This record gives sequence, C-alpha cells and structure tokens, in this order.
Amino acid sequence: MKNPAKVNEAIRHLKPQAAPFEEEMSLNFGPQHPSTHGVLNFLVVTDGEVMHQALPNIGYLHRGIEKLAEMTPYSGFMPYTDRVDYLAAMFANQVFAMAVESLAEIEVPKRAEYLRVIVCELNRIASHFIATGALALDLGAVTPFVQWLREREFINDIMEALCGARLTYNYMRIGGVSVDMPGDLPDKILRFLDHFEPIIDEYNRLISNNEIFVKRLADVAVISPIDAVNFGLVGPNLRASGIGIDLRKTLGYSVYPDFDFEVPLGKGFRGALGDAYDRYMVRILEMTQSCRIIRQALEKIPGGEYRANVKKKLKVEENEVYSRVESARGEMGVYLISDGTDRPYRLKIKTGSFTAMSIVEKASQGLMVADLIALIGSLDVVAPEVDR
Amino acid sequence: MVSAMETAVNPSVRSAVRKYFKNIYQLFYSILEGMAVTFSYLFRRPITIQYPYKLDKPMDEIIPDRFRGILGVDLRYCIACRLCQTTCPIACIAIDLERNPETKERFITRFDIDISKCMFCGLCVEVCSTGTLHHSKIFDGTSRHVENLVLEFVNTPVRPFIKPKSIEDIPVDRSGAITRNKLKDFFDLPKFRLTDEA
Repeated sequence: MKNPAKVNEAIRHLKPQAAPFEEEMSLNFGPQHPSTHGVLNFLVVTDGEVMHQALPNIGYLHRGIEKLAEMTPYSGFMPYTDRVDYLAAMFANQVFAMAVESLAEIEVPKRAEYLRVIVCELNRIASHFIATGALALDLGAVTPFVQWLREREFINDIMEALCGARLTYNYMRIGGVSVDMPGDLPDKILRFLDHFEPIIDEYNRLISNNEIFVKRLADVAVISPIDAVNFGLVGPNLRASGIGIDLRKTLGYSVYPDFDFEVPLGKGFRGALGDAYDRYMVRILEMTQSCRIIRQALEKIPGGEYRANVKKKLKVEENEVYSRVESARGEMGVYLISDGTDRPYRLKIKTGSFTAMSIVEKASQGLMVADLIALIGSLDVVAPEVDR
Repeated sequence: MVSAMETAVNPSVRSAVRKYFKNIYQLFYSILEGMAVTFSYLFRRPITIQYPYKLDKPMDEIIPDRFRGILGVDLRYCIACRLCQTTCPIACIAIDLERNPETKERFITRFDIDISKCMFCGLCVEVCSTGTLHHSKIFDGTSRHVENLVLEFVNTPVRPFIKPKSIEDIPVDRSGAITRNKLKDFFDLPKFRLTDEA
C-alpha cells in the first residue's frame, strides 16, 4: 500500500490522529505469524525499517469464556479456566477457586493451600521456560528453546502423575484440590529441582550471556517505571521496570507469607532500566525463587485433608467479589457476581497479557521492525489470555 | 618519535579503541561458551523416546495411573444414576433409560460418550460412585469421520447394577480393553451416519 491516503484510511479506525507520512507504508504483521505467539495481529506503520507505530488488533482468539461461565455451574467452570492461559493453567484454576471460596465462605484446608502453592510455582517455572525460550527462538536461537522444552517435559510428567493431564490440569476444586499427592511425588519434584537448578547456570552460559543475544535485547523497547504503571503493566513486566509489586508479597494470599523468598527486580542488567533484557532476566531470576518456594513448601507441608466438604450443587448467595493471584504473566483477577443460583451472574477475568498489549503502541515507536519481535517476546504475551 | 605519538593520542580515543576490542573479545568468548555447552551434550545420554518404535517399557507402564485418557464404561456396574451426565460441563455423555411396561424393569438403552467433544476434565469420573466410568490410558484414537467418535457402549439393553452392601471393591475392568474394543470400530469399519439418530 503505497498510497498515503489509503494508509490513513486503513488505520483510521485504530488511531484517528495518525500523522500522515509521505513514505509511510502499513503492513499486516500476523495473525498467523509464528512470532506473535498465537493469533495476534499488528498493523505496523513503517518508514523503511523503522516503525512509526505498531497497533495491536486483538480479538482473533476470542472464545467467550466469560459468557460460558454464566451458563455453567460453579464446579463445572473449572475446566474452562484451564483454557484462559494454556501455559499457566494452575493460576486460572486457583484464582477462580479463590473467588468462589470467598463468596461461599469455604475454608480451604492447609494441606490444599500448600499443594496449590507447589503446583503453582512448578507451573510458573514451566511458563517461564516458554517465555524465555520462545524469546530466544524468535530472535533466531533455536537451541535454548528446545533445551527448555526438554526441561518442561519433566514438569509435565510431574503434573501428569499428580492430576492426569499435562497442560489443562483442572487440578483445583472449590474448597481444595482434586487429589492428594501420590507418595513418591515429593521425591520426584526434589529430584527435578536438584537437576534443574544447575541447568539455569548452564542456560545463562548458553544464551543469557551471549553477546549477540544481549545486543538484540539491551536498550531495546525501554519501558520507564512511570509508563509501566500508567499503562497498567503487571507481573514480571512491571517488576522489570523496577517496581516491586508482587501479589505474593504485597497481598500475601494463600500461604505465601510462610515462605522466605525474594522478588527479583529489573535494575538495568546490561542496558537501561526496563529494557527487553531486564524483562527477560527477571523471569530467569524468578525461576530460582520458585525453586526456593517449592523446596520450603515440600518441607513444611502439613498432613490432613486436601479438600473441604463442599456441596455438589453449590449455591452462592447474592454477593460480589474480586480475587486475584500473581500468575506467571502478572496479576490475574476474577470479578465474580453471584445471584443466589448455582451459576455465576457475571464473571470477568483480568489478565496480564491484555494489559501488556496496551504498551505495544507506545513502546514500538521508533523501533526497528525486527525489534518488534523482541518487544512482544519480552512482554510474554499469550494470545488466548489476551482475548479470553 | 614513538613516544611523542603515544602522548598525542587522546585518552578518550584510547578507551574507545579498548572498548571496541573488548567487545569483540566478549562476543567470541560468549559464543564459544555457548558452543561448549552445546558440545557437552554430545556426550550426555539423550532422553528422547522413539515413540512408537523403540520403547523400554510398554506404553501402559510409562503412562502414570492417574492419566486422564479416553473414557471407558464398564456397563456391568453402572447404577444409572446419571450423575456423570449432569456433571459434564459440555454434555458429551448421553444416557437413556427405558422401562419395560410389563415387568416394570428399567434398562439402560443408551450410554454414548462423544469423545470429539470431551475435554478430559475428569469431573464425571470424580462423581461416579461405583467407579464404573473411568479414564483409560488410551490417548490415540483417530477417525476419518467425526460421527464415528461417538462411543456407544450399549450393545443390548442392560439392567442397572444394584450395589450389594457386602461388596467393598467393585471389580471394574479399568485395563482399557473396553475402550480399545469400541475404538476398534473406527479403524476396521468406518460407519457412515448422515443424519443424527438422536
């Protein structure tokens, strides 16, 4: 499309105030591009190799999960939450369970809370494998991605032995978890951690310290702390800009106050504060902290019940609640309104990827086209989480 | 002459030159380091499993017991409570009961599971009181027609099971043979059903 009038016509519905450039060209990036991590569409307005802006155009993966919730009983909605974020299904499980539990005033047994923490942190590691590995893959390094996939296989096996599924776990239930750990699982997890912790160093040697990789990420798509807050970034993306908000610490939900762990912050490891490399490095550091939490949880886990007594046909009185957890992609929230029946009146899911999309337009200004890949990859956007 | 030239070089230029060469050194060092990691994998044991050609153990032993595979029903022990049908969030289980008008006996005439809809969440298995509805360890089932993916477990109408109080463990056949038999129909004789019989 060389005609500037046509370009402006094409982007008018996205951004009316787009300034006309003589040499400007608009390109569709996605929705089937492999680097968009799913089906995302960006309208890239470029002048040669330099982007003037990249406008995200979402909605290709909308499945109406929130509407489905209104037609499904509370207990029956749990499998659907797996599909909100297929890389970190446990968090969506947990946040929905927590919302219903606080509405129906169900007390969750201590053992169930510990089990939830263990599986969530394992899931966080598995999710960061894909985030960091796919970022390297998008920049042209195939080996790290395959290596992380191999490590992730161990976590998948652990989850399979625990709940029977490798990705869509459907492990948590309202009032606890579906099954207790099999007897040999703690050993299995510990063996994995012993094996995995040295692998992080190896991985850093393989790719994180690689000068080519660093040059592709450092000082690219810098998000200042003020921007990060104003655009509503959450999770690792926010912490990479140096703002230490982690709901595990600040909110202290579930049994997280029992554990001793740090929240890694971005501090301009190889460039400016809040660049793509910081976002990458924060995730690598978070894996180590997750390992610490799992070790402590396995040590402290109490015996007893793993599931509270909840009626099969659960009816919740008229009320509303907002519950949130720190997912692998930042704050994940569920706003739930009940009307006295056995199904929600309205359920709204707030996810980290959706807010991360909002900054793409600002952060992409003046970037090279190839750096858009680094930006999207470092934001760790998962398409089903954007659209739900 | 040489010393005069050395003093003439601007210190900022010198540091820039040093930085330039340091960059090159770092680049090659980090690449070699990465290559060393890659190289070390030549001497480690691969963890790849050559499925399905070379397996150390049979697939049933590799897959954990809790694996949620394709559903199976041991109809001998179904009490026809229909809990699974009402629990299923996507309604992929269809059960019909018919009463013989003369003898007033109830019969299960239909127990269909549409595994093309099933999302293997396991909620139906959790509510089954006799354990007759179970997950097999089978995960591979393909068909040329989506209609064939409806597993029809009732061949001839069966009486619902009445649980005697003396029995603690019901000997449900969880080996997967039931599901495997039903899946066999896909491969051997593809059924063509143009209209939905339901």
